[in-house]
Amino acid sequence: MISDRVRSNLRQSFSESLLPKIGLGILVVIVVMTLFAPLLATHDPTDTGHFDPETGSEYPPLGHSYETEVAVDGEFTEVTIESNSTHVLGTNTVGQDVYSRLIYGARVSVIVGLSATLLALLIGVPIGLLAGYYGGRVDDGLMRVADTMLAFPALVLALALIGVFGERPVGIPDPIVMAGFAEGMPATIPIPGTVTIVGALVIWVWFARVARGEAMSLRNAEYVKAARSFGTSHAQILLKHILPNSMTPIIVLATIQVAVIILLEASLAYLGFSGTTLSWGYEIERGQDYLRRRPWVSIFPGIGIMLAVISVNLLGDWFRDALDPNVDQSERGA
Amino acid sequence: MLKFLIRRLLQGILVVWGVITVMFILRAVSPGDPAVLMAGEGADDEIIQRVREAEGLDEPLLSQYLDYLGSILVGDFGFSWEARSEVTAIVIRRIPATIELAVAATVVALVIAVPLGVISGTRRNEPADYGATLFSLLGISTPNFWLGLMLILVLGVWYGIPYPSIGTSSFSTGSFVVEYPSSIGLGLFDFPTGRREIGFTAAVSAVLFEQSLSELGAWLRHITLPALTLGTYFTALITRLTRSGMIDELGKPYVTSMEAKGLPRILILYKHTLRNTMIPIITVIGLQIGTLAGGAVITETVFNWPGLGLRLIDALNDRDWPVIQGIVIFIAVGFVVINIVVDALYNYLDPQVSES
Amino acid sequence: MLNNSHLNVQNNNEIRRRKLLKLTGAATTATGVTAIAGCISADDDDDDDADPDEEEEITVTLTEFPDTIDPLDHITGDYFDIYDHIYEPVFEFDPGDGIFPWIAEDWEVTGDGSTEVSIRDDVTFHNGDTLTADDIAWTINRSVDPDFALVSDLGQFGLGSITGAEAIDETQLEITYGGAPGLAEFEFGNYARAMNREWAEDRGADEDVLSGDSPEDFNGTGPYEVVEFEPEVEIVVEKFDDYWGEEPPFDRVTFNADGESSGRFNALETGETDLTINILPEDVGDVRDNEDTDIRNVPSFRTIFCPMKNSVEPYDSQEFRQAMNYCVDQEEIIETILSGFGTPTSQPVSPDINGYNPDLEPYPQDYDMAESLVEESGYGGVEIELTAPQGRYVNDAEIAERAADMIDELPNVDCSANIVDFGTVSDENAAGLDDPDHPFYMIGWGTVTGDTDYGVQGFFVPEETRSFADDDLTDAIVESQEIEDPDERREALQEINAQIHDLAPWVFLNVQESIYGIREDIQWEPRADETIYLWEMSV
Repeated sequence: MISDRVRSNLRQSFSESLLPKIGLGILVVIVVMTLFAPLLATHDPTDTGHFDPETGSEYPPLGHSYETEVAVDGEFTEVTIESNSTHVLGTNTVGQDVYSRLIYGARVSVIVGLSATLLALLIGVPIGLLAGYYGGRVDDGLMRVADTMLAFPALVLALALIGVFGERPVGIPDPIVMAGFAEGMPATIPIPGTVTIVGALVIWVWFARVARGEAMSLRNAEYVKAARSFGTSHAQILLKHILPNSMTPIIVLATIQVAVIILLEASLAYLGFSGTTLSWGYEIERGQDYLRRRPWVSIFPGIGIMLAVISVNLLGDWFRDALDPNVDQSERGA
Repeated sequence: MLKFLIRRLLQGILVVWGVITVMFILRAVSPGDPAVLMAGEGADDEIIQRVREAEGLDEPLLSQYLDYLGSILVGDFGFSWEARSEVTAIVIRRIPATIELAVAATVVALVIAVPLGVISGTRRNEPADYGATLFSLLGISTPNFWLGLMLILVLGVWYGIPYPSIGTSSFSTGSFVVEYPSSIGLGLFDFPTGRREIGFTAAVSAVLFEQSLSELGAWLRHITLPALTLGTYFTALITRLTRSGMIDELGKPYVTSMEAKGLPRILILYKHTLRNTMIPIITVIGLQIGTLAGGAVITETVFNWPGLGLRLIDALNDRDWPVIQGIVIFIAVGFVVINIVVDALYNYLDPQVSES
Repeated sequence: MLNNSHLNVQNNNEIRRRKLLKLTGAATTATGVTAIAGCISADDDDDDDADPDEEEEITVTLTEFPDTIDPLDHITGDYFDIYDHIYEPVFEFDPGDGIFPWIAEDWEVTGDGSTEVSIRDDVTFHNGDTLTADDIAWTINRSVDPDFALVSDLGQFGLGSITGAEAIDETQLEITYGGAPGLAEFEFGNYARAMNREWAEDRGADEDVLSGDSPEDFNGTGPYEVVEFEPEVEIVVEKFDDYWGEEPPFDRVTFNADGESSGRFNALETGETDLTINILPEDVGDVRDNEDTDIRNVPSFRTIFCPMKNSVEPYDSQEFRQAMNYCVDQEEIIETILSGFGTPTSQPVSPDINGYNPDLEPYPQDYDMAESLVEESGYGGVEIELTAPQGRYVNDAEIAERAADMIDELPNVDCSANIVDFGTVSDENAAGLDDPDHPFYMIGWGTVTGDTDYGVQGFFVPEETRSFADDDLTDAIVESQEIEDPDERREALQEINAQIHDLAPWVFLNVQESIYGIREDIQWEPRADETIYLWEMSV
């Protein structure tokens, strides 16, 4: 599927430049956060009520303190809230541990990003391959559909789809907790189901376009013609010859689209259309009204999104530079 | 050339038709009673019954579809039962604010990105290049709602620079009201537009006719943070493209021969290389208008900017389907039109395209 | 505008128990209360302390801008805050003190479900026409008469027991109603308005709701007339020169809206607005610290609670529903999430509402009790979800998340919060008992008429929309509507509140506090009914 030449290109550009290393480094961190969230988190991320016991106020991040006013028996009193050593990044407006939610937020972003991209691959690649291979009316039809889909801004289309189908969370069980390795962590975490499907519906057309282009150029390749003259069926040609040789640009595109989906999920959660609260985007919205006194509630999840997207973008750049397929900047969906 | 444009126009019409069809299908396949969907959040039974009759929802889907197509053709996007208003009027009312923001963001992007890209592309692997690369990497990776909040936090809260909270209208004191004609008439299109105070127009007329800079200052203060928020992704993207375009162009033989002829480098850079670089950039700008529209939804929400995006979010919260349909279709059609214009421009700058 | 907009009605009114007696007593002996009348007369307008040459302009920023220009086509608090200045109320309604003369000078219950009202003869509309009794009768009929094409939320929900009105002569009309006179007076006292019949009919108001986008599309008798109108963005009003009553305090007022509380706060801080509503408890300190701004707050009549639809498991069990109440520590939520602004509740309505039962105590937090109640219900080990809106009520999503987590603490129940847009919650509330998508959800309700009936009726009576079915309770509510004797009716309502406390159809949360941010130099005591009347302010 991936040739030796590609491999050596990848290796070469990786050793030549610093950026892919940074990208890979961040990615590793995020993957570790995703896989081992229950072990890394210090608190159940959904557990509320971690407030300063005397004033009922949120804890600031470690090493910080802030002043606020609380009503005690109807009188306003200025109080200084000190940080608490068990809450490294402080707590949010409902008293949840910001650090633990940052860790779990990675899990939600990664699961949605990967599963939506995978779903889009499963929809887009077969359609694109068939259209490109057979050409003719099927192909014309696909291109018109693609043009139409591309006329909708991703976020706007996603919002319209959610407006119709509503927001449904899906509980994903956590194997580490199930196996009893992490006491007190949630056994399932809610993933925004509709958002995942809508994300796939919004980006599949990019895959269809790239797969079509590949299939079109490959269907006249010598080895494909040869295979056909031996009586190989169309299905086998598509599966054995065309698909494997189209994979490189599709993989590059998939990498970039994961970033697109992560941003899309965060945006929808921020706007309140994802149906879940355990999400970096939602956390940013939650902190919006408290920005002046408790900026940490919004700051950290934003850094989470930024790092995740940077790492995926860096890897995408690395792949593109090394493989040089025909995926250019304009093919970014968001 | 003309043939190319006509073909492009026909394609565009096909896409617009497709967009309208998609929005119709979405309504048709969505679960529940279509009349309830059209009537909006929590409408009562009588309204729902009136919607059913008025919208012909008892008729076969095909005839509903043809009706819908027909009315959009004459500029009628239907009626919002929730807002008790023509959808077209709602959309028209919200367009100026969105355009104002989008244009400001594009201007911000071009003003920052082109010089940055040129510097970065001509001084490869120097500190300036690294800086620009880092900036553009951060720019395309930062969610713009978070960026907006951080700008508010850092500039607004920590440094005390006031930012707008009630959109453009809050500072127009009414002395410079732009009166639109009571209807915009092309025969087919005939809808009331009302009036809207446009910050920019008011500001410019204050400078021109009253020699007063205060309106302009107020406008700048209000538009700066939203424009930066919306423009950053664009800025980053154009910086990247300009950089790689410059690198490509500078490697071409004509540059070497011009240098050999002794033309000043600055002239070569800005007159020739940059010009050639701009062609693909314009295309990308066209293709990225969709991103801009998506970004506008978010930016308008963060800053309460009274444009189409904010209205779309309101309509979604009210389940006001006719308005959702109207705004989405309008944005998609705007995207198609802008791309045709971009293609025409592209075609003008680089006539070979029409052959390919 | 909407069937469900009474969910966010801010215009709640209060009648204290003893005041109700006074009120109904006064009405039957045919007196307009005169003691207060002096202060609303235009004649004693001689205490003008402000510089008369200086134009006084203010901006009022609400949370929601009206999406209708028809004063009868909504029952939304924010809209009243604007339109009551243009289409003024016919009666003065003072929370706690009852109704007083305004346009109406005098009224008398004539028996047989009708009240005769006499109105002033010196009231003019902004277009110069004189107000007649027929205008008011027509406006009431336009709200409540099903023959009009308009489905008026104000008529349907605000004037529910009113059946119609008829002019007797130029200044007298008769209002007829189906229920008890006490209930009717709550309703028309609050919601009677005056539109200019001829002017409105010219604009097709007998066929449909009014629509339009110019200042000329408004025509009331209020102290302010519209001079600029930018739909969805702002309405600017100026003093109406021919106003019959006392001159209002500001010359020019701009009304606009911002749904984000951070935006409203910022507008107040930067001086872009002079008065704004729903300041977050969080921001109270900063508003006070600022030299130019101040906080005014008062408990409102809105209660926040979480209905549990008893058509599905596990909510069909009274033990289970009570257990949910025993999990939630209302005091703690108020202290931590609402910074102390709020009051715990034990029943659907807040303390100043007619029919409030003072003997009931909020469910205390008691996990042992809750756990054993869940076991008794047979639903141990169940997983449930609390669906809540975001940004509709003060810190709504936060309260829901905290409450859900408190329930989740129970060893034998798993509970999570599902935060959705308000449309989803409001649809659920209107959807009735069949096949609910979100059987456990959070909503807020303002008891508009100041009477328990309005606070409970919609949730427990109509077959198709109720969120809880209990035949005894439904019967008790329907019966109470017919009771004419105010004492007897109040007792019946108290009994209903006690019944609801025990049935625990909802998880009871808090009474919401109205918190206003205002320019320091404006004198104003906020009303307990969340209504903003500029004429009650001074500079």
